[in-house]
Amino acid sequence: MRRKFADLNLKPSVRDFGSAEALFEKACELGYSLVAASFPPDVNRERVAEFKRLCSGLGMDFAARVDLAPNSRRDLLRQLGRLRRRFEIVGVVCVSKAVARQAAKDRRVDLLVFPEFDPRKRFFDPQEAELASNALASLEVCMSSLLLAEGARRARLLSFLRREVAVASKFCVPVVVSSGASEPWLLRKPRELAVLATLFDMDFSEALNAVSAVPLAIVRRNREKLSSRFVAPGIRLVRRGKDC
Amino acid sequence: MPREFGLLEGGRIVKVKIRRNPRYLALKIESDKTFERKIFLNNVWRSLTKLYGEYGASKAGMALVEYEPEKGFAVLRCENEALTMVRAALATLTSIGEKRVAVHVLAISGTLRALRKKLSRGAEGLSESGGF
Repeated sequence: MRRKFADLNLKPSVRDFGSAEALFEKACELGYSLVAASFPPDVNRERVAEFKRLCSGLGMDFAARVDLAPNSRRDLLRQLGRLRRRFEIVGVVCVSKAVARQAAKDRRVDLLVFPEFDPRKRFFDPQEAELASNALASLEVCMSSLLLAEGARRARLLSFLRREVAVASKFCVPVVVSSGASEPWLLRKPRELAVLATLFDMDFSEALNAVSAVPLAIVRRNREKLSSRFVAPGIRLVRRGKDC
Repeated sequence: MPREFGLLEGGRIVKVKIRRNPRYLALKIESDKTFERKIFLNNVWRSLTKLYGEYGASKAGMALVEYEPEKGFAVLRCENEALTMVRAALATLTSIGEKRVAVHVLAISGTLRALRKKLSRGAEGLSESGGF
């Protein structure tokens, strides 16, 4: 069976529909069957529906994503309570250790994002990984930062990623590789993303899963949770009525 | 194609055949501007050297076999052992001069003939379902 690929981190401009269309068309041309676009938390639902229609017209599945960047643990909990049911994917940009720890142990968080180039601000250590593995959160690696960095900056980033991916692998934390593209020229084919992941010592087959099986499983799991038939993990409502 | 080398063994020269195992990559170059053959190849080399250093790049055995700037199409040859390195270098190529560029691999094959066959069958689908 042909493998399906997903990119969970496209960053189209919410206001400029034309450029968003070009980005989705390129993603479709490159062989993605599911894309997720990152929206601001206060996005208009109609805009999300428009993007969904656009992708469905191109023959792609679409998932709405929100990236939370809370300042504190309390702020994260408040935002999760407010936004979790509005978006299919929730990513948390971990800017402090307290936020990173709370995000890793919260089952409502899907993706942990560490954007900083400063080694003191990359909090994905064994303790974080252990919390994440118990709560089903995944580590996200965004390739646009790798493509845009050069020289010593890129070498440093590769070194962080190598260490983080090794820790994730040790604690069985799934890794998601995504493009983080805001423009079509930053998009790469899924296999090219997998090849890039080998730069930080990911096995090629593992890297292919990071652009296909892992992100697809996250979206499937969340859609099931968000459906009205969901009761608890593994339990769902099959039929309603007096004879049940 | 095997290459013959002279090797001194026990006081006499014996012929040793070293088999090269090339891979041909069909590439799609996406940019607003077209580039000269030499400029494009230099930038691929630069990208490879940036990622893997001069020692790593020396293992690639890279050469531009075909180049059609108007169509944004190229065929690149490299050693099979260096295929991942070359693919990574192509993926990290984001600009040539001031212009934005993206290079996508359409198909990969061991011979030019098989590569052309793959391309004529529809490289897009093949590159996703096949691969290496």
